[in-house]
Amino acid sequence: MAWTDKQRNVIDFTLSSLLRRKGKNAALVLVYTAVGFVLASVMLFTHALKREAGIVLRDAPEIVLQRMVAGRHDLMPSSYAGVVEKITGVSSVKPRLWGYYYDQLFRANYTLLVPDEFRYGEGDIIIGAGVARAGVTSEDNIMPFFGSDGKLVSFRVKEILPAESELVSSDMVMMGEADFRAFFNLPKDRVTDLAVSVANPLEVLTIATKIRQQLPDTRPVIREEIVRTYDAIFDWRSGIMLVILSGALLAFVIFAWDKASGLSAEEKREIGILKATGWETSDVLLMKFWEGMVISFTSFTAGLILAYVHVFFGSASLFEPVMKGWAVLYPEFRIVPFIDFYQIATLFFLTVVPYTTATVIPSWRAATVDPDAVMRT
Amino acid sequence: MITLDNVRKVFNQGRPNEQVAVRDASLAVEDGKVTVLKGPSGSGKTTLLSVIGCMARPTAGRIWLGDREITSLPERFLTGIRRQTFGFIFQQFNLIRGISAIENVMLPAYPNGEKYGLLRERAGGLLELFNLSAKSAAKVQFLSGGEAQRVAIARALINNPPVIVADEPTAHLDTKLSQEFMEIMDRLHREGRTIIIASHDPVVYASPLVDRTVEMRDGEIIS
Repeated sequence: MAWTDKQRNVIDFTLSSLLRRKGKNAALVLVYTAVGFVLASVMLFTHALKREAGIVLRDAPEIVLQRMVAGRHDLMPSSYAGVVEKITGVSSVKPRLWGYYYDQLFRANYTLLVPDEFRYGEGDIIIGAGVARAGVTSEDNIMPFFGSDGKLVSFRVKEILPAESELVSSDMVMMGEADFRAFFNLPKDRVTDLAVSVANPLEVLTIATKIRQQLPDTRPVIREEIVRTYDAIFDWRSGIMLVILSGALLAFVIFAWDKASGLSAEEKREIGILKATGWETSDVLLMKFWEGMVISFTSFTAGLILAYVHVFFGSASLFEPVMKGWAVLYPEFRIVPFIDFYQIATLFFLTVVPYTTATVIPSWRAATVDPDAVMRT
Repeated sequence: MITLDNVRKVFNQGRPNEQVAVRDASLAVEDGKVTVLKGPSGSGKTTLLSVIGCMARPTAGRIWLGDREITSLPERFLTGIRRQTFGFIFQQFNLIRGISAIENVMLPAYPNGEKYGLLRERAGGLLELFNLSAKSAAKVQFLSGGEAQRVAIARALINNPPVIVADEPTAHLDTKLSQEFMEIMDRLHREGRTIIIASHDPVVYASPLVDRTVEMRDGEIIS
């Protein structure tokens, strides 16, 4: 295998060459790794969040129906469920009860809701891990809330939701219907909204239109729209991150371009020696290609591994406030490690390819000098 | 046999700084002989040596390597011939600083695609031949002039070329080291190699080893 041996020999020489300027090259790899790390972190994190949100929404109803009064979301009469149920194509309609509560003591917003099946009794609640942290409480403890009439109501914590679902359940407080209605002083014939399931996804838009026709004071929110909104939010957040970091990225690009594209007199002389001793122009370019690859691929790999650890094991702690924060209670969760090869390829083309090209192209000129130039100097 | 027929080499042709380095040189270098190109600085020795060693193409004239005309071969083929046929020893040694002696010796053979282990063994053997085994791992900038010269000779021999081309090889050596260099050339000559040296050092051109002296002046062969 002469070809592989040739590559090996050229790589060996390239490494020896790079080691001659240890400090300079190490600094370059370090800065390059940092850039790769930031880019990869943003990319991995955004993608993982979008994926997580997608998984969460997979089980969401096709349509959520809200009642609108004066352009604002209002409580919905329970009787609307019967109207919607009669529309052809609707497989089920579930009235939902949920609301928000601001805890003045801990200065945190909670989402209160009534689940489909609540297996505990009156006065019991299930809370999200974020609520447990904020309220410094644990199972079987009493949690005080101020009801709509200003009176103190105490609930007993029966369960704390597992951390795996913390992205959506962090700020959640679940309770029975009677407790919920009493706590918010909600009339018996009113619900928050309706979850409408549609068997055939192609009919969702038609059904939404029919609902609007029959119940003009309602707004159907389609699941696909929510997914799109999530995508847009996370893309926007990652965009913000990149804009903030663009100054640093640009500085690096200039630095790397200068380093990679400028050939010193010593490097030109060395290329002359290689040519004189029997290297072809293509051999010199091959060496320069490996030089670019060694630096950029090492940095890319190191940056990617660091970003992977940072995002999936360190919960992206550096970008947390920008990327995750949409409530007072930051969810504390570990995203399921996930690698998308399309993203890795994008990152590869953003980092490795430009640097390697910037290394090879300027060498072209130096490598095409007549080999006797070295004898004439 | 290397044959040159009316070879002319012009630098910067058609420009104000045009310079004719070699004028109508015809020469036949016999296989297995030691030929010296002698002449003062600027007489065209180095340029003629470059043309003979396939480092530069002549502006006019023809060159044969044995029966094969190589005058207008593309660079790729010339490089191949250069690598397999010629071993070069330069005036300034032209070793690559910062890497070890043995790596410098191996350098011309890297593009051949040989097994690294075998190549390193061969380079080690050459260094041993020139009593440089102890300096094998030393960076070349820390070698003495004589040692650097011998590393350069070992590098010229790594592809086992039949022809050795040396350009002013003793210019930076004292008399003792220059004589030592000629002894090495003697050894290579006895191995059957053709040796072509450009030099204006009497230690070289007056050596009993030399079979033929070609005298040059102002780009022309005068005898």
